[in-house]
Amino acid sequence: MKNCDNKTILIGIGNCGREDDGLGWAFLDEIKSKLPSHFDVEYRYQLQIEDAELISHYDAVYFIDAHKDTLENGFNCEKCIPVKTHHFSSHELPPETILFLAESIYDKKPESLIIGISGESFNLNIGLTEFAQQNLKNAVSFFEKNQLHISSLQAQ
Amino acid sequence: MAQKLVIDPVTRVEGHGKVTVHLDDNNKVKDAFFHIVEFRGFERFIQGHPYWEAPVMVQRLCGICPVSHHLAAAKAIDQIVGVDPDDLSLPAQKIRKLMHFGQVFQSHALHFFYLASPDLLFGHDADPLKRNVVGVAMEHPKLAKKGILMRKFGQEIIKLVAGKRIHGISTTPGGVHRRISAKERNYFLDDKEIPSADTMIKWSVEIIDFIKEYHKKNKEFLDTFAAYPSGHLGLVKKENGFLELYDGVLRATDSEGNITLDDVANDDYNEHFYESVEKWSYLKFPYLKHLGREKGWNRVGPLARLNVCEGIETPLAEKEWLAFKAETNGKTNNSTMHTHWARLIEILYCAEMMKTILEDDDILSNDLVRKGKRRKEGVGIIEAPRGTLIHHYEVDDKDRITRCNLIVSTTHNNEPMNQAVRWVANNVLSGQPKITEGMMNQIEVVIRAYDPCLSCATHALGQMPLELVIYDQYGNIVDEKLR
Repeated sequence: MKNCDNKTILIGIGNCGREDDGLGWAFLDEIKSKLPSHFDVEYRYQLQIEDAELISHYDAVYFIDAHKDTLENGFNCEKCIPVKTHHFSSHELPPETILFLAESIYDKKPESLIIGISGESFNLNIGLTEFAQQNLKNAVSFFEKNQLHISSLQAQ
Repeated sequence: MAQKLVIDPVTRVEGHGKVTVHLDDNNKVKDAFFHIVEFRGFERFIQGHPYWEAPVMVQRLCGICPVSHHLAAAKAIDQIVGVDPDDLSLPAQKIRKLMHFGQVFQSHALHFFYLASPDLLFGHDADPLKRNVVGVAMEHPKLAKKGILMRKFGQEIIKLVAGKRIHGISTTPGGVHRRISAKERNYFLDDKEIPSADTMIKWSVEIIDFIKEYHKKNKEFLDTFAAYPSGHLGLVKKENGFLELYDGVLRATDSEGNITLDDVANDDYNEHFYESVEKWSYLKFPYLKHLGREKGWNRVGPLARLNVCEGIETPLAEKEWLAFKAETNGKTNNSTMHTHWARLIEILYCAEMMKTILEDDDILSNDLVRKGKRRKEGVGIIEAPRGTLIHHYEVDDKDRITRCNLIVSTTHNNEPMNQAVRWVANNVLSGQPKITEGMMNQIEVVIRAYDPCLSCATHALGQMPLELVIYDQYGNIVDEKLR
């Protein structure tokens, strides 16, 4: 059960049974013990419509997901802008649509960032590749030094 | 020129299926089929595993109704350890039922608000860009908010009992792992952090009012679209024939309400059912042995359950059931589109039952597990959101599963869905010089009424790569249409 007084939520998206697709969850595994009490974490195979309701209770949201491209330093961190996108399947609901629905239905627009971490292999297997592990380390380090600090300030 | 129309994949359903419609030289429908093109193989690869793994493994069949598979398998495994349903401790029974009502509640909410309502709110012919759950959220935000929170309530109940919303674990052979705490149950009753069980009941009544109002305005459509005579099958309470979702006896009627399966005990199911196969589908076709393949098939799910039962134990759902029965003057209801209405009455029933169980102090008890004398076989039958679900296991002396038979809800509905597809093909598509997207969607509309779970948890939003291919009689492509 979530304490809705908390201000920030980290949503890790992926599937740890598909190698580097588990980067979003691995990020949460690495970081959650270090987070202050006003941070929550959620693990997701995929985003769903009801996640719009979930994020409407927060001031800041981080979506963390694996990225198929090779990124500089192994990850990127971009602002998430609400967009009314339209996909074939609800399996493909992107963070931008969730943010759009939170704004449209609940009149809430939490600050939102997407952290994409480069992976290279997404086959049926448990465990990250060495490439992904290094990128994960970089992303976690960046988050600890920057985003965590920024969000903590926002929450004060 | 003879043609074959193909809808692949069918959308806004769980899993993957396709429809083919075969036309003659005059564009008249010769035949139509709903094909299930996935193969799962759970019955085979679970063999050799220890029996206690079954409830955990088989729930991976699905991401929408894993609780139903978890519980059906658990009921069967209870028998392997010598515990019949009535021998389970009361706390364990109630905790399992609480999770089951949460499951049916969230699944029905998902289906109505996310998958079915776009067709009802916007119409068959609406732009697919609008005819989806995002469109519902944009144009009917109050309805969408309620739908989201109702689904969330059911999922939170599942998480409470099983640890997580999808693929959690609650049962152990002969009982459940843990009790509920007073603090945990108050979360669902005090209306503070989430809307309470009372609010769920109130909203359920409101959504039934919505469908009744819709029926007044669209009576002919709901009453006649893909209406056809069929048998109906479901569990009922063995003591009074009332609606039962967790543990009861099997009852079936024909399209006129005559009993065709008379309150059969779960263990005896195998004496009454056969399954046939067709070369064009991976889904089997179950039927009652004594009636045969042609006449022995039955609908299952909300409409069937409300047809075969003699009442509902909760007051508000009972009142709505009586009103529903009055629409057909108490006779068996064969209107496929009324399945939506029946589903919403079950939502109300589940909401009332969740409140009743949450307020019951038995769920706080530590009396959770029973033991009995080891057996070699177990049958678990449950009413999943989509209908009667049968799990049957046999084990050897080394505790390994040697045989597994699963008849899932959608399997029962295989023939009914094919009948429905043929109805639309004959009444909407046949003889038309031009096939529109709206016409094709009507085939999907009638399939969606059954809320088929074609194996896993894939949901499509409505705007999708629906491909229509027209072949000549030699198999050459004459025309293609994509949306």
